[in-house]
Amino acid sequence: MEELLRHLAEAQQQITGYIYPNEIELHWGLVIVLYPFITGLVAGAFILASLERVFNVKEVQPTYRLSLLTALAFLLVAPLPLLAHLGHPERAFEIFLTPHLQSAMAMFGFVYAWYLTVVLLLEVWFDYRRDIVVWSRTYRGWRRVLYSILSLGVVSTSEESLKFDERAGRFITIVGIPSAFLLHGYVGFIFGSVKANPWWSSVLMPIVFLFSAIVSGIALVLLIYMVSSWLRKHPIDMPCLDKLGQFLFYALILDVSLELLDFVHRLYEAEESIDILAQMVQSRLFTSRVVVQALMGTVVPLVVLAVVRALKPRELVRKVAYFGTGILILVAIFFMRWNVVLGGQLFSKSLRGLTVYKIGLAGAEGAVTAGILTLLPFVILIVLVRLLPPWSGKSGVREVGQQTHSS
Amino acid sequence: MPSQVKRLILLFGIAAAALVLVRFLLVPDSFGRYGHYRADAVDEVAGMEIRYAGHLLCQECHDDVDAVKSGSMHEAVSCEACHGPGNEHAEDPFENRLSAPRGRRRCAYCHSYNPSRPTGFPQIEPDEHGGEEPCITCHNPHQPEPLVGIEDCEACHTEIAKTKSKSHHLSLHCTTCHATQERHPGAPREMRPDKPRTRSFCGQCHGEDASSPETIPRVDMATHGEDYLCWQCHYPHFPEGRR
Ligand code: HEC
Ligand code: HEC
Ligand code: HEC
Ligand code: HEC
Ligand code: HEC
Ligand code: HEC
Ligand code: HEC
Ligand code: HEC
Repeated sequence: MEELLRHLAEAQQQITGYIYPNEIELHWGLVIVLYPFITGLVAGAFILASLERVFNVKEVQPTYRLSLLTALAFLLVAPLPLLAHLGHPERAFEIFLTPHLQSAMAMFGFVYAWYLTVVLLLEVWFDYRRDIVVWSRTYRGWRRVLYSILSLGVVSTSEESLKFDERAGRFITIVGIPSAFLLHGYVGFIFGSVKANPWWSSVLMPIVFLFSAIVSGIALVLLIYMVSSWLRKHPIDMPCLDKLGQFLFYALILDVSLELLDFVHRLYEAEESIDILAQMVQSRLFTSRVVVQALMGTVVPLVVLAVVRALKPRELVRKVAYFGTGILILVAIFFMRWNVVLGGQLFSKSLRGLTVYKIGLAGAEGAVTAGILTLLPFVILIVLVRLLPPWSGKSGVREVGQQTHSS
Repeated sequence: MPSQVKRLILLFGIAAAALVLVRFLLVPDSFGRYGHYRADAVDEVAGMEIRYAGHLLCQECHDDVDAVKSGSMHEAVSCEACHGPGNEHAEDPFENRLSAPRGRRRCAYCHSYNPSRPTGFPQIEPDEHGGEEPCITCHNPHQPEPLVGIEDCEACHTEIAKTKSKSHHLSLHCTTCHATQERHPGAPREMRPDKPRTRSFCGQCHGEDASSPETIPRVDMATHGEDYLCWQCHYPHFPEGRR
């Protein structure tokens, strides 16, 4: 209680203007910022993988399986921020038992379940099935048991069944692209449909979320690809990296255009909320919105990527450029979520004042939890990569065979 | 059908069956009877102890208070908003007495100044309004008509009227002390109202033998400030005396 009062007293000193009493404390904090960030990475990584599959972009083939596993690792973590926010996380599964079809929040359960089981797991399974069967024969001990279970008892590696895997995978990818759009469009919708909140309420919100998701997903896979190659002491496939950089550039241009459109639209409409929103962006959100999101995370990467594309500098320079922009973009997209989620709660419904957000360190929604939730997908990814090595494509089986011999 | 599909159908079938089973085991029987919730919850809530009786019940016995209150500015304010939960009292009024909020705090819950209240809602600054007196010395809680602290004289004598309306002499009309000709407002300088001239004027109410209400403080007219007019020491529009 005392702790709470001190917290309130501190916050109260930083309030400007007039706000209603129940607006001092923000209801959605850091973990809810993390939630759209992580789902965005999932959707982005998956869409990148789909490019190779559906549109046959051969250059990015080395990252195909890596993107799938990245999407899976992040998807497994995606609901955890929400659970950390709930007062009764143990009741969350009830949305499946007694589905409420008119609740946008409850729909997340279904979109998530569909995307996880029908899209991602199936796609991974069909893509890895042949390898899994082979591994279940070559490995010994627990790994053998594990791969046998994963194969679901389908042991055939005949030409015909592999063809079917290929076709099924392609079909799922085609279903998967709209599903990925749905998954992240949904997250944007949750905010965009809050008509009482002028910072959120916008029909463009789902689309803006989607494109920023694609940008962040590509940036993430690019970084993971570079780091993993470096860890494995494997040369980086430069055409692949250049292609990723190209996609990143295009996606970023689309994303920026949409955000600009949204911005101009708000400015021109100039609803009664415009003054307080402008005040908020100039004070509370100045660093995160103007400096980090707009300057460092958008203008700088755009310029760097454009220069790289135009001048084609040496390989090393390109690598550094891609790596740097990748990190800048990830940070910027994180802060884009931050600006949306927190920004929508910083100004008073009276449109006459601003409150503040203070990050707590401990607690289910504190910075420590958020840090763990950010690292967790990478841990899961390492495990997944160990179990289902993505490096190989079709030649992976041989590589693994060599590894088992040498170890 | 390829064996992959068969296995997957089997797997999804098992998952679906598990969902149906879990639903069967965990979803309460009464769920969905009336809507998207557990119907038994209604009975559980209905079974909770009743603490508030509702103003209709109060009216049955206190019709005198209700007659005063209905039509007043507090018509929409329920009895129990001021008197607190009264179900026990309604069941046995002599055993369970209700108290009345005779202090200043309860009224201030609704009437202290707060910008989030609707425009036009009567609000006051409790630290400044009405001194430290309980609100009910000046306002009737069951019939809080807008007090005319300010009478028709106020149009011109605003300062005096305002001062008086916050004073102990609030309840006294100007004309109690100033016999005023009807034409005074039209020709104020020609038609000067009367002003008290003697100590005994104030003595009508404040003298020890005065027949005024007992709550009015008394002084010994013979010894209290005997050589002076009362208003040489007390400002008549804002008299101070009690410590
Ligand atoms: C069954 C009739 C009855 C009902 C119903 C009833 N009262 Fe009373 N109330 C009485 C009686 C009788 C007294 C006088 C009790 C006494 O003097 O000991 C009383 C006294 C009071 C008093 C005066 C207490 C005091 O200290 O002066 C208040 C206030 C009061 N009631 C409020 C209410 C309210 C509010 C309700 C509705 C929730 C209510 N009553 C319902 C019969 C009733
Ligand atoms: C705005 C607050 C308020 C509301 C609403 C209110 N009361 Fe009262 N009531 C008081 C206060 C204050 C007193 C004490 C008055 C006094 O001591 O002069 C009081 C006194 C009483 C008394 C005892 C004295 C008397 O006047 O007989 C009764 C009985 C009573 N109220 C009943 C009711 C009932 C019945 C209602 C609903 C119809 C009601 N009150 C609504 C504030 C309120
Ligand atoms: C000394 C007498 C006195 C006391 C005590 C007193 N008031 Fe008043 N009150 C007045 C007068 C006179 C007016 C009307 C003149 C004015 O608006 O200043 C008034 C006006 C009001 C108004 C209407 C204000 C408006 O703007 O319409 C409210 C509400 C009110 N009082 C509530 C209270 C409350 C609550 C208390 C107790 C905390 C209280 N009063 C105590 C004398 C008093
Ligand atoms: C539950 C809230 C509530 C409580 C408690 C309450 N009031 Fe009121 N009061 C109201 C409402 C509502 C009105 C009517 C306002 C209107 O119609 O605009 C009102 C009107 C008034 C007015 C008339 C103001 C005017 O316009 O001149 C006065 C005076 C007043 N109340 C005094 C009191 C006093 C004294 C008390 C404490 C005994 C009290 N109120 C307790 C809600 C409350
Ligand atoms: C149209 C404006 C007006 C109105 C209404 C009005 N007065 Fe006056 N009053 C005056 C003026 C002007 C004077 C003269 C002031 C002066 O000459 O110093 C005055 C003087 C007085 C005096 C002082 C007389 C003296 O000899 O010093 C009293 C007492 C007085 N008014 C009481 C009242 C009363 C009581 C009312 C309401 C019934 C009232 N007035 C209404 C304008 C008005
Ligand atoms: C308790 C009795 C009393 C009441 C009530 C009263 N007055 Fe007076 N008033 C006096 C006395 C006594 C004087 C003379 C003061 C003096 O001669 O110094 C006076 C003087 C005045 C004067 C002359 C200028 C001044 O300030 O001395 C005016 C004007 C006046 N009163 C107006 C009013 C008005 C208007 C009201 C009503 C809002 C009112 N009075 C209510 C007792 C009263
Ligand atoms: C010489 C200045 C003076 C004069 C003249 C004067 N008073 Fe007082 N009066 C005071 C003081 C000082 C007090 C504060 C109480 C005390 O110390 O006795 C007071 C207190 C009072 C009280 C409050 C008493 C109580 O017990 O609460 C009343 C009523 C009062 N005076 C009325 C009058 C009346 C009526 C007159 C004219 C007949 C008058 N006064 C003349 C100075 C004076
Ligand atoms: C019509 C009756 C009446 C007349 C005439 C009258 N008063 Fe009062 N006086 C009151 C009342 C009523 C109170 C307030 C009692 C209370 O607070 O409960 C009061 C209170 C006082 C107080 C006490 C204030 C305090 O601090 O408690 C003084 C002093 C006072 N009057 C002085 C005077 C003077 C001086 C005059 C003559 C100009 C005068 N009164 C004329 C009715 C009267």
